[in-house]
Amino acid sequence: MSINNTEKALAEKSLVALEQSGFDRAACRVSADELHELQAENAEINLFRTNFETDISLVGIKDERKASMSINRVDDATVNDAVADLTAMAAGSSPDSAHDIAPQQSHEIFSGGIEEPDYDLMYDRVSEMQTYAAEKYPLLNLRSTGITFYKRRSCYVNTNDVCFQTNRGLYQVSISFSSKDGTDTSSMMYTGYSGYDLDTPIFEATNVDMLLQQSTEQVRTEHIPGKFQGEMIISPDCLTDFLGFLLGRIGDGSIIAGTSVFKDKLNELVANPMLSIESRPVDDALTGGYWVTGDGHQAMNSTIVDKGILKTFLLSQYGANKTGLDRAVNAGGSYCVAGGDTPYEDLVGSVKEGILITRFSGGRPNDRGDFSGIAKNSYYIKDGKLAYPIQETTVSGNMVDLLQNITGISVERLNFGSSILPWVKVSGITAS
Amino acid sequence: MQIAEIDLGKYSNRFSSYTELRLHENRSQSIVLLNGDVVSNARDTTGGVSARVFNGGTWGFSSNPDMSNDAIDGTISAATRNADFLARRCGNEDAALPLSNASADSDFSTKKTLKTQEEKIAFLTEIDNYIVSSFPDVVSRQVLLSCLDMEKKLQTSEGSNGHNVTTRSLIAVKLTTENEDKEPVELSEAIGARGQYEDVFESMDTIIPALDKLYAQLLDKKEAVQPISGYHDVILASDLAGILAHEAIGHTTEADIVRAGSVAADYLNKKVASDLITLVDFANTYEGETLPVPIYLDDEGVESLDAVIIEDGVLKSYMHNKDSAQHFGMPLTGNARAFSYTDEPLVRMRNTAILSGSSSLDEMIASIDEGYLLMRPTNGQADSTSEFMFGVQMGYEIKNGKLGKAISDTTISGVAFDMLNNVSMVSDEMVWSCAGMCGKKQPMPVGMGGPAVKTKVYIGGQ
Repeated sequence: MSINNTEKALAEKSLVALEQSGFDRAACRVSADELHELQAENAEINLFRTNFETDISLVGIKDERKASMSINRVDDATVNDAVADLTAMAAGSSPDSAHDIAPQQSHEIFSGGIEEPDYDLMYDRVSEMQTYAAEKYPLLNLRSTGITFYKRRSCYVNTNDVCFQTNRGLYQVSISFSSKDGTDTSSMMYTGYSGYDLDTPIFEATNVDMLLQQSTEQVRTEHIPGKFQGEMIISPDCLTDFLGFLLGRIGDGSIIAGTSVFKDKLNELVANPMLSIESRPVDDALTGGYWVTGDGHQAMNSTIVDKGILKTFLLSQYGANKTGLDRAVNAGGSYCVAGGDTPYEDLVGSVKEGILITRFSGGRPNDRGDFSGIAKNSYYIKDGKLAYPIQETTVSGNMVDLLQNITGISVERLNFGSSILPWVKVSGITAS
Repeated sequence: MQIAEIDLGKYSNRFSSYTELRLHENRSQSIVLLNGDVVSNARDTTGGVSARVFNGGTWGFSSNPDMSNDAIDGTISAATRNADFLARRCGNEDAALPLSNASADSDFSTKKTLKTQEEKIAFLTEIDNYIVSSFPDVVSRQVLLSCLDMEKKLQTSEGSNGHNVTTRSLIAVKLTTENEDKEPVELSEAIGARGQYEDVFESMDTIIPALDKLYAQLLDKKEAVQPISGYHDVILASDLAGILAHEAIGHTTEADIVRAGSVAADYLNKKVASDLITLVDFANTYEGETLPVPIYLDDEGVESLDAVIIEDGVLKSYMHNKDSAQHFGMPLTGNARAFSYTDEPLVRMRNTAILSGSSSLDEMIASIDEGYLLMRPTNGQADSTSEFMFGVQMGYEIKNGKLGKAISDTTISGVAFDMLNNVSMVSDEMVWSCAGMCGKKQPMPVGMGGPAVKTKVYIGGQ
């Protein structure tokens, strides 16, 4: 990937304008995005899109008063107006000594992925997917299939002599689908992934084919036999819905507010020792990663949960300054959950009575972690076998307890580009 | 150059087939006070030009943040090339779209002098100070101002044109207390309306009653019991009726979802609900009042009309864009909207509401021996099966016709048409919400409204 210095020049010019307007500390990020998207709906290719976007993000701090602004026009008049507005915004704010910008770091250039999209290959992959689905799964309706080539060139600079240039181009693939047989309809399902090439047919990527097959089975569903407390196998497709409570409650908002149930749990056991979670934004295996955090630090990979022990909060520089705790070495995301030692088939085989959940449609858990929601595109498991697809089944429990109640993790993991996740089995779930 | 100053009509000779040319700018502002500290003080202005071209049953789209003459020309050319590429690969020469030719201008910008950032932060600080001085049991508080103005100018090859500015301003307050086990208990409220900040937040007079009510319910919630999971008689309070209309029925009857396999495809002109239920997606006005998200011309240049979805319990129609109206052979409704200049218009709801009935809320509560009063929605989701769910952050037990203890956060669910068939009472009030942000592929502000409804739903819990 080549580096174009247009964004750097614009970022440096904007930074000078910020300094000249009187800010003590300032930062600027300029991004130039290209998006090329091919989309099919209801098995017909119907939209081809090319978007070009520029974004200038400005941050200024004066007398410990901070303001930020984002604009997408690059002419001098617009940038100068934005700097003037930013000055007034900061002057109107209240001082907070925790506001700061990233300290001096060596100038770096990062790049990855591909430079240009292959339109014909994009078209052929979408078309091939339509044909495959129509021939193998006649009940299936591919509601939408999209392949997007997305490229971003970016430059971050600040008044502490930080300059990071990045450039990444990748493909993002998404599909959504449901099945219908007469008047019987399955729940809709969706999945997606990103990658640097389109070498693999969509139906062979991640667990796409398994989900298509399950959708056609799910046109006819049954109620579970009755309310029970049992086990649940969480598919990689919805695992972040269940890990999200932990990951969301160790960030700035909850830790600064003091409302997180994990606020006193650093270096303590918060999950079963089977669970290890890393955040790996700088990993060639994860095309959805990043090299620079939003507040201008070079990102590094980190272990968040190591054998059940919480090793770090996900605090930004502001969050760290505000709480006196350590800043995280990245901004989270790009999560990798370590695989276990049990094959997926054996995980299912070990369940006496439970649920295989593939999509969770639930209300936001409260601050204590209590949750309930509908198990969509899911199965009732009885005596180690997937018995039948289920309907109108609510699962409920507590997210804090759920982490402690992990009883198995699959060997197999799926790489979605944005995360690498296994199947996880938990106990103590109420299904009704 | 500002959007208002650009003449789009002069580009009409550049259109080689059906084309929509749109200038679009979103201007947003966010200020967040967390326990009194300003943790976010941000503005975002994002805009540009987009063109969408129809050729042989396929669409080409392109956008550019530059709104200069050359960029607009180039955007039309790029969208046309994209449509030509698809038409060559998979086009259908017989494909057509319904015609439309409409014009509408509207502007909901304030006519008052704009407040400075300092004045806005001072107002939020006043709210924060009121919470600190009046609510002793609050251990953490967040006050968030969120404003969004959307300006769009449209020209189509069929002659439709318009320049419309929609605005809304919200203050969201989240209060957290602790129960006797020192566990956090929180409750939140969004206060606001259509309009810019200066028109919506003129004084604390409209804020204080809402804060007092929020705190009183938070104290009730400190003592909350878990709801009993299962199928229950419930009253969905009027502030829940809007999300009920939106999630439970609205999405299921968006014509693109119907086309993709929604169960509503099998129910047109059939009885799907109690006679008490009439549900309408209003374009802009109800009983002479301008609604939270007033749309007069959609982003395909179609006049926005009210879409009567359910009338006296019978499913009467769907919400359409041009593609779906052509597919189903139905009239256009003007429901096509795009969130950003980089987005294509999709079928979106506008102001979706269940119409009010004749019962009082007290009568409805008195009619239930054992059940729940549910209020204050959080998030929600719908499905092609018409199965819906949404989160509820406040509610009370109903026992022997009287309100009992508060209940903790829960999720309610059901099959929309079953739930509507079970509606046995509808209240005589009509409450509109301006706080909705729908997440169907693109975010989109929506209005929602309705009365309290007595029905049966499934409640998650122990």
